[in-house]
Amino acid sequence: MAIRQLTRPRTTWYRPRPVRCAAAALLLGTAAIANGAPPTLDIRLNNHLFEPSELDVPAHTQVRLRIENLDATPEEFVSWELNRKKLIPGNHTAILYVGPLAPGSYPFFGTFNPKTALGQLRVQ
Amino acid sequence: MLIDSVIIVLREVIAVAFLASVLLALAYYLRMPAPGLRATTALGLVAALLFDVFVRALFDRFDGFGYELATVALDALIWMTLLAVIAVLAITPKRPQARAVLARLMSAALLLAITREGSEILVYFSSLSGQEDAISDALTGAVIGVGVGFSAGTLFYYLQLAQRPDAALRTGAILLALIGSGICAQGSLLLIQADLLPAQTPLWDSSDWVQESSPLGQLLYALIGYEATPSPLMVGVWLGSMAIALSAALGGRHLAGRRVAGVEGHAHDPRRRP
Repeated sequence: MAIRQLTRPRTTWYRPRPVRCAAAALLLGTAAIANGAPPTLDIRLNNHLFEPSELDVPAHTQVRLRIENLDATPEEFVSWELNRKKLIPGNHTAILYVGPLAPGSYPFFGTFNPKTALGQLRVQ
Repeated sequence: MLIDSVIIVLREVIAVAFLASVLLALAYYLRMPAPGLRATTALGLVAALLFDVFVRALFDRFDGFGYELATVALDALIWMTLLAVIAVLAITPKRPQARAVLARLMSAALLLAITREGSEILVYFSSLSGQEDAISDALTGAVIGVGVGFSAGTLFYYLQLAQRPDAALRTGAILLALIGSGICAQGSLLLIQADLLPAQTPLWDSSDWVQESSPLGQLLYALIGYEATPSPLMVGVWLGSMAIALSAALGGRHLAGRRVAGVEGHAHDPRRRP
């Protein structure tokens, strides 16, 4: 099943959760860009679920992701499309930079819980 | 859980298995003692545990990029050890003094690689704490993953033994250079994600040919640091490390002052089993 997931086209294997923060992300982006610093987007990892699971990111802009692992166990944040991989110990917060990105969808997942820890960046 | 465990463990084991197969094949052609796999693996797992503790202690330091810096430092150690192996290979592999140094360098390279990949496996198992029902599946998957990785490494080892003796050292050096360049490229990615190196628009997108998430893509990632969308900096790091490895080999030959003779092929037919 996992191998089928790996070979499925990336736009079909991910099932988004309903929670979004598009307006907040864009507002943060606008404010941060005005200050010259990359905008920061917050993601929480709780019960092996990314919250929010979808984030809207401005295109061609470097973005700072702050991922807070609220679980007691570690998780590895991975995205093949973003070329990012970071281990996050339990009850720790990880920071990493992504972008500048062309418009499109960039899925990410937790290696240790690939069926539940799923999310994507929507760049537009 | 079983399949996830197989994939996670296999991804880490296969990188070590291929490095081990190259080093063992070189040791075979040079008729020198092979790196002790059991002792090196045991020491490597202990070192992996210590490295995991070290990374967790450093995680929040350096503006939250302690993980990246610690991993890149380990990658740099592995790369320099592989460079040293390539250089000594080119000097005089048939001299006893050089062979003793080479044996130690090979063991060190293997130990560091096991530390690097083993720490991820140990962290994976630590993520299962509190999930007793998942641990047995994870252990079974790990055994399968190790078995498949070991089999792949063995196959690659015997493929190397099938080549001509005079090409063995050159092939081994090239394979070590490829592995080292892949490690350097992966290190550069970590520095980019920490904003310690500049982020750039990808130079090309080869995901239509080989997707990174595919089994082939992950195999190539583990072996040579394949990225479907590499930045110019990452490509430059990869090419630069290959150039440095070539310089190490040429420098070694220059120090030796004579052409590397290769193996005494007439007295040692690698196609015969020992």
